[in-house]
Amino acid sequence: MRAYLFLICPVLLFLGGSYLLPFLGIMQLSFTDPEPGLGQYSHVLTDPLTLSVIWRTLRICVIVTAVSVAAAYVITLLWVRGRPLVRSLTELCIMIPFWISVLSRAFGWMSMLSNRGLLNSWLKDLGLIETSLQMTRNEFAVIIGMSHYLIPFAVFPLATAMRNVDERVLTAADGMGASRLRIFWQVFLPMTASGVIGATLLVFVFSVGFFVTPALLGGGQSVLIAELIYLWIFQIPQWGMAAAMSVILMLAVGGILVLLMRRYGEMAK
Amino acid sequence: MKSEAIVVNTTQIEARSVGKKYGKFHALRDISLEIAEGEFLSLLGPSGSGKTTFLTLLGGYEDTTSGHLFLEGQDMTGWTANQRGFGMVFQGYALFPHLTVAENIAFPLKVQKRSKAQIAERVAQMVEMVGLAGHENKKPKALSGGQQQRVALARALAYEPKVLLLDEPFSALDKNLRGQMQEELRRLHRELGTTFVFVTHDQEEALALSSRIAIFNHGELQQVGTPDEVYERPANRFTAEFLGDINILTLDGPAGIAGTPIQLPGNASGLGHLAVRPEHMRLAAEGDANQLPVRLRDKVYLGSKSRLLLETRGGEELMLYLDNGAGLVAPQTGAEIRVAWDVQDSFAV
Amino acid sequence: MTRLHPGRIATLLTALVALFLLMPLIAVVPVSFTSRRYLSLPDGKYSLRHYQALWEDPEWLGSFLTSLQVGAIASLLAVALAAAFCIGIWMLRPRFSGLMTGFVLLPMVAPPVVSSLTLYFFLKKLTEWNSLIAYDSLGGVILAHMVMIVPYAVVVVMVSLSQLDRRMDLAAQSMGASVPTRVFGVILPNIRFGLLGAFFLCFLLSWDEIGVTLFVTSVETITLPRRMWMGLRDNVDPSIAALSVLLILVVTVLVVLRAAILMRREKQAR
Ligand SMILES: Nc1ncnc2c1ncn2[C@@H]1O[C@H](COP(=O)(O)OP(=O)(O)OP(=O)(O)O)[C@@H](O)[C@H]1O
Ligand SMILES: [Mg+2]
Repeated sequence: MRAYLFLICPVLLFLGGSYLLPFLGIMQLSFTDPEPGLGQYSHVLTDPLTLSVIWRTLRICVIVTAVSVAAAYVITLLWVRGRPLVRSLTELCIMIPFWISVLSRAFGWMSMLSNRGLLNSWLKDLGLIETSLQMTRNEFAVIIGMSHYLIPFAVFPLATAMRNVDERVLTAADGMGASRLRIFWQVFLPMTASGVIGATLLVFVFSVGFFVTPALLGGGQSVLIAELIYLWIFQIPQWGMAAAMSVILMLAVGGILVLLMRRYGEMAK
Repeated sequence: MKSEAIVVNTTQIEARSVGKKYGKFHALRDISLEIAEGEFLSLLGPSGSGKTTFLTLLGGYEDTTSGHLFLEGQDMTGWTANQRGFGMVFQGYALFPHLTVAENIAFPLKVQKRSKAQIAERVAQMVEMVGLAGHENKKPKALSGGQQQRVALARALAYEPKVLLLDEPFSALDKNLRGQMQEELRRLHRELGTTFVFVTHDQEEALALSSRIAIFNHGELQQVGTPDEVYERPANRFTAEFLGDINILTLDGPAGIAGTPIQLPGNASGLGHLAVRPEHMRLAAEGDANQLPVRLRDKVYLGSKSRLLLETRGGEELMLYLDNGAGLVAPQTGAEIRVAWDVQDSFAV
Repeated sequence: MTRLHPGRIATLLTALVALFLLMPLIAVVPVSFTSRRYLSLPDGKYSLRHYQALWEDPEWLGSFLTSLQVGAIASLLAVALAAAFCIGIWMLRPRFSGLMTGFVLLPMVAPPVVSSLTLYFFLKKLTEWNSLIAYDSLGGVILAHMVMIVPYAVVVVMVSLSQLDRRMDLAAQSMGASVPTRVFGVILPNIRFGLLGAFFLCFLLSWDEIGVTLFVTSVETITLPRRMWMGLRDNVDPSIAALSVLLILVVTVLVVLRAAILMRREKQAR
């Protein structure tokens, strides 16, 4: 029992004290600040400005999720099933961006897309445009940046699913004379569906609470939920609203995670 | 009875109606068993019969759910593994991979806070005893299976535990090495006089090594006795069939098999089958008391002997061995012949 | 058995995705050599002034050291806490161990912005009591980072413990070893690589951490990512390009090195 105290308890106390307790404080704030009751929640869910942020967040997250999972599927396919050299190359393309700081990556997109950036200068050199295209400080940049950040995260569940595909099934389909396209659509894709679902939920969960990339590439023009919470604390202090929004976000993400675990729990059986 | 020799020894461990449940599942039921000091007891039984479970209960790695365990008369049911201080050799050895052979053996001695000199002396002695001189500074990974096994033995014996529990210690070894290790284990047991409780799957191993054998099935203790007792006088049909080959014949009426009258052993009342080991059956000669007509179905040449597969008139299968050196000519397949046995070699089940 | 490899279409699409993934990393390179003070391409004039600035500016250097300190201390403490917890769970298998593990992993799965708000709230409260572990202090950042990286340490240590033979611990127990002996003499030496891996992962995560750091620091304690953020937010400072190029270089070298080592090992195994 003493071992129990010394080994297991420290981290529980640590997180209980510095994470759970303050989160309960946040929950309390959401019901009391500035006035007691459900006012903050009803405001968050009815105020047109806030609602527009929620809608934008959902829209962008859905698009980002779709783009990331699709791109990840393609690159994972080669990473898992390509020839050895191709495998090594794709692995580098996945791993190098994965380990690079989110800030450097956002900055990279700024350098790429800004008015004096690489892309605009290329397009001008090619004579396709006269004046610079506005490609940062808008939703387009946010979607690009977020997708870029999230693709590697989508790769891992997909890779697991693809590695689990029984080689013999594919060989059998091939032996029956099925075309490559048919093998892919009717055999391989359904067999990796669980990975697609897992990757989709994972990426969506990550994107919903995402802060850094949208804030930098959106340039204040397309505020998402996370940035709104930031603004509610540091720009126009409205603690109660920030707290209520956080609780809603936590519940939403919790719901999706439960879904995810059910899914994987079933598969484990 | 041969077991008298053991009764003289004092009882060291006693299990009284011990049971173990995992959830609703009875892994062990009502086990009562006495283990004498210095004996070599084997636990034998099919997979899942509860051998390991019983060993872990003895060692104190799991709690009993009913019954009591005694050590030298004291109730040790609630004691931790630590308090019991039994040595244990685990299946797969469980050596410490980060320590050398010598350090592995020294581990329990260090735990007991013995002096450096004492530890060094004892380690050297143990290394010598299990024949690992020259390997002291190797890590377990650099050793062969048999050598690892020896380290595990040396480590468990180093601190002179009163009782050594061994869970299928030889199951990962090939047949030759196994025989060699069995010899070694016998020698160690003789030299040390420690009580050994030994789990095995292998009945030959159990018969060869043990002073007594406890046979388990479905979590119940079927029989305990010396090797020849359990082999020659099985308490029930399970034991009879589990150990070695046996011919089982259905008794019909008061005293006959498939219409042929025969002599019955003393314990026959109320039991419906007669059991005779193949080695106790022979082709009938003039004057044999128990003769049973059979048909020869097949014969298999095995070198020094042949195995005959027979069928009674009732359609039951029998087996016996014919010594090829005895000059007897085996009958032709399909022939109608007679087999015989001595009544004292048969028993009812 | 012949293996079906992806065809031409898939290869083409992958090339596009790979290009997309590498594009921003390449885009920062020319920017870092611009001679101007703002984000721009080097109009024929290349300059190393932004690299020089990194080197000479005491602010960048200070942030570098802050990040190093925060990363080292937070990772060390997080790994210690995580190791104790995992070993406790592994040895004792207590009731509710699933629940407890789930709780410890919470900061990893919760939306980062919620964790940030929570930690900001907590440190603000602590500031009323002390100045050591407080908002915008080194102690505060370390604590916040610990909360965020402890779950990752737990996952890594759990994985390495799951590969440990439980009978080894039983054997130690049977020889009378006490809990400290079992932990320090048997278990820890056998998961040392797991601990090392956990430390590296934690350090990297802390080194890169920006979401929470933004909420819990302001002007006193500025980690490297925090300084980058400041440079990106106001008017974009090309020093960040120079720094990014250096970071990208380091990561690339490490990843390529790792891949090369793995490939060699695979070849040797064959
Ligand atoms: N921790 C446990 N939880 C639930 N059931 C268990 C547990 N340990 C053992 N059992 C069950 O108890 C029964 C006896 O197991 P035990 O390990 O004692 O068998 P055994 O005789 O040692 O078999 P083997 O020869 O295969 O090692 C088995 O049916 C097993 O499934
Ligand atoms: Mg067993």
